[in-house]
Amino acid sequence: MSVLAIAALLFLDFASFQPNRILPGEGVALLDALSLRWTLPVFAGALAIALLSWRPDRHAYLAILLTATTLVAFLPVLAGVFGLERAIEGLQHGRAALGSGFWLAGFFMALIMIEACHKLQAGIWLKLASVTVVVAGIAIAYSYGVLEKLSLAQEFHVRQRQFVTEMGAHFNLVFWSMLPSAVMGMALAIWATRSEKARRGLFGVLSVVQTIPSLALFGLLIAPLSYLANEFGWLRAIGVQGIGFTPALIALIGYSLLPMTRNAYVALTGTPEPVLEAARGMGMNESQVFLQVRLPLAAPVILEGLRIMTVQTIGLTAVAALIGAGGMGTFIFQGLGQAAMDLVLLGAIPTILFALAADALFAFLTATTRGAP
Amino acid sequence: MWRASIRRAPWRALTSALLLILCASLFPHMETLFRWLQPDASQVVYDRDSFWRLLLSHAGLVLLSGFIATVVGVVSGILVTRESGRDFLPLVNNIASIGQTFPPVAVLALAVPMTGFGGAPTVVALTLYGLLPVVRNTIAGLEGVSGAVLEAARGMGMSPSQVLWKVELPLAFKVIMAGVRTSVTINIATAAIGSTIGAKTLGDPIVAGLINGNTAYVLQGAILVALLAVAADAIFERIESASA
Repeated sequence: MSVLAIAALLFLDFASFQPNRILPGEGVALLDALSLRWTLPVFAGALAIALLSWRPDRHAYLAILLTATTLVAFLPVLAGVFGLERAIEGLQHGRAALGSGFWLAGFFMALIMIEACHKLQAGIWLKLASVTVVVAGIAIAYSYGVLEKLSLAQEFHVRQRQFVTEMGAHFNLVFWSMLPSAVMGMALAIWATRSEKARRGLFGVLSVVQTIPSLALFGLLIAPLSYLANEFGWLRAIGVQGIGFTPALIALIGYSLLPMTRNAYVALTGTPEPVLEAARGMGMNESQVFLQVRLPLAAPVILEGLRIMTVQTIGLTAVAALIGAGGMGTFIFQGLGQAAMDLVLLGAIPTILFALAADALFAFLTATTRGAP
Repeated sequence: MWRASIRRAPWRALTSALLLILCASLFPHMETLFRWLQPDASQVVYDRDSFWRLLLSHAGLVLLSGFIATVVGVVSGILVTRESGRDFLPLVNNIASIGQTFPPVAVLALAVPMTGFGGAPTVVALTLYGLLPVVRNTIAGLEGVSGAVLEAARGMGMSPSQVLWKVELPLAFKVIMAGVRTSVTINIATAAIGSTIGAKTLGDPIVAGLINGNTAYVLQGAILVALLAVAADAIFERIESASA
């Protein structure tokens, strides 16, 4: 009964959101923007979801998932067609910006997808398949030029090469800060399990670092680093500078250490004493106990630490663009500077997707390590 | 939320707050020091706004959004854990956990098209983002109250609202406060970035310094923001240890 109520409330609520708006300069509601031929499927789909949710069983949820997925893939096409039709009407250089109605509708559809997956207890393949449908739908629409008149696509078009560079820079920063902090975090956590004094001092320092705002930490690193680079020629020779990659990397490592060390510490100390006792009783020596018992048991919690760290780092890397380290933040701040919202979106959306993808990847890894005996 | 306990420094809140006040009042008079740091710049002390104004505006933004986020977050946390609102629990949980994956900068940037430049989008973004940890921890805290305790409270003849006020909320207080603390810490940092969208915050000197290559500006802003964050965190720690 309660499931039925959730579904009904959730979906009815969403259905009233449907009169959806697309705002090119001045807002145009979906119904005014496009002929019925295009909008009818959307309303029909949304209505179908609402109806299906009244009688929730496995098949209904499967149908809901299918409908919602199709709709998410279909929404950008609608916006694209709208842009094209307006362009034909004479505004050759016009471009269609996506409005809040588009985002809200997309967001609710995505929520419904998640809810349906949850109810279906979907495996990784089903989830992957539905995401693929959405991505493929948008990619096909783009390659056929349907999205050409969307401002987001135009911003992308102009900066295609830079986009790839910045994406690479973003990825680089995340990767090269994660690698050392994962290793250092593990080492520090092992150190913390050995000595109580080390543990207190360590977590004290790390949590203070975590508290310092990212913009401030990036800023604080500029002065000492540029001093060092000026004083010692060899440091400059290997690329150490006051601004750019180096301070960003140091700050990102600093931020990553707390979640990593904390989770690794909790994980390593969390092995139940009887298990350790049993392992020693089987004649394992300490290093065997560590490698074969503690570490495998700790893996899910350590992975959780990696997950928090990665998601956090991806977000912070966007801020690092302010100190000239590159990355998707470059577009965000450039766009804010020029009051060009679509440029902001070009930076913000991939950052969000990157974070969501990392989150999903680690959630999957955690699930597999938990599942293993 | 697991936090390192540094109980041996109860004076940390006081020290950092004092340092903050000291720095904010003394920076304008420390021209010689900053001149030594940045010999070639024409201006070495940020003077487009007084540090006090920036500090108060920064703290004001965080307090306002923190207050709204806490009230709305705790209330909605309570609502979805009641019998009648339980249907929304998975939905709210989903939104809270997905939302926290969104980078704060992105949320900040996305608030601009909705409300324009200035202080308003910053408050909107800070409130939205600050809501998530509060909601999450309120739900976790309330769900963490053991069934036996609730049973006992009901058995003593308490009404549902008495159970909520006298049993559940006091027991969940610590976890809820941890959520508020996380939310405020993130928001102090995000508010600093808010100066890129036109909010008046301590991020102003940092951003201005970065654009003009003036390290002295950057340092002045960065020190103040860092002290503000450390002071706020230490105050929360005091509250937490006092209630323990």
